[in-house]
Amino acid sequence: MAFIRIDDKELEVEQETSVLEAALAGGIEIPHYCYHPALDIVGSCRMCLVQVEGMDKLQISCNTFIEEVSKEKKVDGKYDAVIHTQNDLVKKEQENILEFLLINHPLDCPVCDQAGECLLQDYSFRYGRAHSRFEENKRVRPNEYLGSRIVINHNRCIMCTRCVRFTEQISGTKELFIKFRGNPSKIAVLEDHPLDNFLAGNAADICPVGALLSTDYIHKNRIWNLSNQSSVCTDCSVGCNIDVCYQDDRIYRITPRENHEVNGYFMCDIGRYGFHRYEDIERVTQPLIRKNGEFSEISWEGALKEVFDHFTRGTEKEKPFVAGIVSPFHTNESNFLLGRLMKKVFRGRSALGMLPPIEEEKDLVYSSGFRISGDRSPNRRGVVDLCPDLVDDILDTIREKKIKLMYVLDDGIDRGLGEGWGDVFRNLRFAVVQTYAMTPMARSAHLVLPGPAPLEREGTLTSDRGRVQWLRPSLPLSGSIRHDWAIVMEVMNTVGKRELKYGDVADILREIGDDFPAYSEISLFRLGDQGLPTDG
Amino acid sequence: MTGHSDPARFEPVLTRDVHLQDSHTLRTYVKGGGYASLNKILKGGGPDDVTQEIKASNLRGRGGAGFPTGKKWEFVPKDSPKPKYLICNADESEPGTFKDRLIMNKAPHRMLEGMIIASYAIDCHKAFIYIRGEFYKEYKILEGAVGEAYEANLLGENISGSDYHLDVVIHRGAGAYICGEETGLLESLEGKRGWPRIRPPFPAVAGYLACPTVVQNVETLACLPDIIDRGSGWFKSIGPEQGPGPKLFCLSGSVNNPGVYEAPMGVPLSELIYDFGGGIDGGKALKAVLPGGVSSAVLTAEGIEGLNMDFESLAARHTILGSAGIIVMDESVNMVNACLNLARFFAQESCGQCTPCREGTVWLVQILTRLFRGNAQRKDIDLILDVTENIGGLSDLSQGSYGKTLCPFGEAVAWPVRSFVEKFQDEFAATF
Repeated sequence: MAFIRIDDKELEVEQETSVLEAALAGGIEIPHYCYHPALDIVGSCRMCLVQVEGMDKLQISCNTFIEEVSKEKKVDGKYDAVIHTQNDLVKKEQENILEFLLINHPLDCPVCDQAGECLLQDYSFRYGRAHSRFEENKRVRPNEYLGSRIVINHNRCIMCTRCVRFTEQISGTKELFIKFRGNPSKIAVLEDHPLDNFLAGNAADICPVGALLSTDYIHKNRIWNLSNQSSVCTDCSVGCNIDVCYQDDRIYRITPRENHEVNGYFMCDIGRYGFHRYEDIERVTQPLIRKNGEFSEISWEGALKEVFDHFTRGTEKEKPFVAGIVSPFHTNESNFLLGRLMKKVFRGRSALGMLPPIEEEKDLVYSSGFRISGDRSPNRRGVVDLCPDLVDDILDTIREKKIKLMYVLDDGIDRGLGEGWGDVFRNLRFAVVQTYAMTPMARSAHLVLPGPAPLEREGTLTSDRGRVQWLRPSLPLSGSIRHDWAIVMEVMNTVGKRELKYGDVADILREIGDDFPAYSEISLFRLGDQGLPTDG
Repeated sequence: MTGHSDPARFEPVLTRDVHLQDSHTLRTYVKGGGYASLNKILKGGGPDDVTQEIKASNLRGRGGAGFPTGKKWEFVPKDSPKPKYLICNADESEPGTFKDRLIMNKAPHRMLEGMIIASYAIDCHKAFIYIRGEFYKEYKILEGAVGEAYEANLLGENISGSDYHLDVVIHRGAGAYICGEETGLLESLEGKRGWPRIRPPFPAVAGYLACPTVVQNVETLACLPDIIDRGSGWFKSIGPEQGPGPKLFCLSGSVNNPGVYEAPMGVPLSELIYDFGGGIDGGKALKAVLPGGVSSAVLTAEGIEGLNMDFESLAARHTILGSAGIIVMDESVNMVNACLNLARFFAQESCGQCTPCREGTVWLVQILTRLFRGNAQRKDIDLILDVTENIGGLSDLSQGSYGKTLCPFGEAVAWPVRSFVEKFQDEFAATF
């Protein structure tokens, strides 16, 4: 370890840590543009220049590394390095660099989508001059599409090359390059090789200014109007950490949230833009009962009474078999409770199954190791972990056991009903489908119970690598929608004459931990924003 | 100066054979004693002895930076399991500098022998000649020389019966000033965009393909055979001890006899202009001199009085020896225009990677253009000086304000522009 001082703050840091990283970790801001922790250091923006005592030139803090020095070389007899980030020399340099950067950058913050989270705006305010001495004409270039969802505003580009390095080092797809030399240089793509890989959206995220923009969000809202909810992506089994940016009951964009155990700094475009799938769907917001082939609204009390009537009718001997279908799209808590319903309430006359996960051909793995799972369901691992009594093929089991009742946690809008389900539904006496949309499964049900859509759900998900993460609801529940775990709890109380009173996900998670040792150390508090592995 | 370095009695070294018919051929070079030094080292004490001899000679790089050659070789880690590379920097591309071209044209085997000696010293078995793409004639000559060397077993396996082997590859650049900067050259050689690399790591540790690499200028390598042949003491006796040796000076501009002249390091600049160069063209008065190529600070006519052309003497006058491209300007030269012309060159050649150079060079051109057209004000003079400082960091060296750009290009722009404005301020002010 090295003992250093940055301005007035003393820090102990690992050997070979860069001054910039040490400062950031210590809560000291050193302005920077081209540096990004996931990318190679190029040192080109020159914004992070600092003064290191004993070195005659100003040093870029991103490429100046701290080493433990011998006793006689220590500054003031104790520091391995003393760094100044705010003295007059450094301040003047920061002003100079910002003056250079603003030569061609338009001051169009009022219309720029990056306003509010723009490093040029922030640093100009904190480190820049009030006035530029540049009196010549600014260079003006038209916007260009780099790909179907990324547009570049060349006038705002400060050539930090983060985006180019991203396509070289993270996606490995190399669509972006620098065209021309010197001052005229600009970010470009070849016409037949646009920026359309599944990680392209990240290029807009890592742009420190408003040059690269996602066409999905441009001119839709201002960032300061939006609220952020940290959550987990539900579009594949990797479980990328995300921030859901929303206002009122509408999601405007999703951005990746840093988690080095899962997704690093990035996410894929499937997850990023996936929320649009839920905008135009036929939502279910009230319990619905089918009578004479038509669905009509029913109250929750009425719905639960229907469940009670159908699932408890007859003597013990007459009672038919019940199938419960858990879902790799639902949370651990919902699946766990449905498993309990089948095992403990319908004891001896139930079968628990799962619809097969929705799978693409295979995982898509990029040169940096970033992975998009071929398994498009976010929680297959959780189902397997928490539902040990799953039958292999629920469809066959329903047929074999001549099952007449079924309770389904619906998979959602991405799944069509496979062959054989039509016959099964026709032979069922009563099927309850808990869903957020009128899916093919819901359309075949006798009773539809309204649950939340994926980004409204609360609970935990277990990624395919065994990491349990906290899925927090990003939007409020509307209509008569109730949380999935709460609906299953009500059903258990109704059918099983129980008095379960789970107040929240944490209560259920505690019981999961009691039943399954791999989850015994897991609590919402311990999961926090980063999650925990099931293997400890 | 010592006897050897007296120009009147100076015996040319680097240009010894250039007047001969077919001086570029192996036959002519060997006839004059060429490759004797190579044979000497192959039968001698080993690579370390060569390095020590070169280090003792105080040979400093002739590309512009003037870094001690032997010291550079010592930075190459001996225990590295990676291959080591030598690269001959033949990307001479600065206006007013054309000395390496002469060696490539007329004495390619001298350069090649130097390459083999240097390669042997650093345990390199594959060396490159990175030649400026526009030098097609020189490329063909070098290609021929390399072919001759292979045929004569001066390159390839078991060179001259020793157990040392070396391959030389000639790589043609596409013609960018920045590819003459050693890390920009490395990027280009690796097939990438010619942008300088951040340092550290330095090329001696992680250069070509992240392997230890030594990059040396053509003229530097051409000095090596005679140092090995005659010893470091002989070399050190020529010119000032801290930076001795024979030196090629390129003389251009308002002189009667422009060309490349060999003289001992430390030769008086006035001697080069008036004796070698035959004085100012048309009998006009001398106005200014760029002593070390366009990236050096300009000197006034008074400023060259008593000035010797060596590293220390020029540094004492706040300029540099650089590439020793002496550009002479007579009284008729419009200094504002000359400065603008020079700034345009640098703005054109800036690679654009780092902020101060990419933005600042063009800004300088814009202000200088206004000045030249008479559309500027007095405050613009101060602005030019400030912008040059913000690119290159010059006004107060004691504050450690160098290092503002990623590579020395920023300083190369700032030095001359600032010196033009400071030393010919009246002429600049006259444009208002």
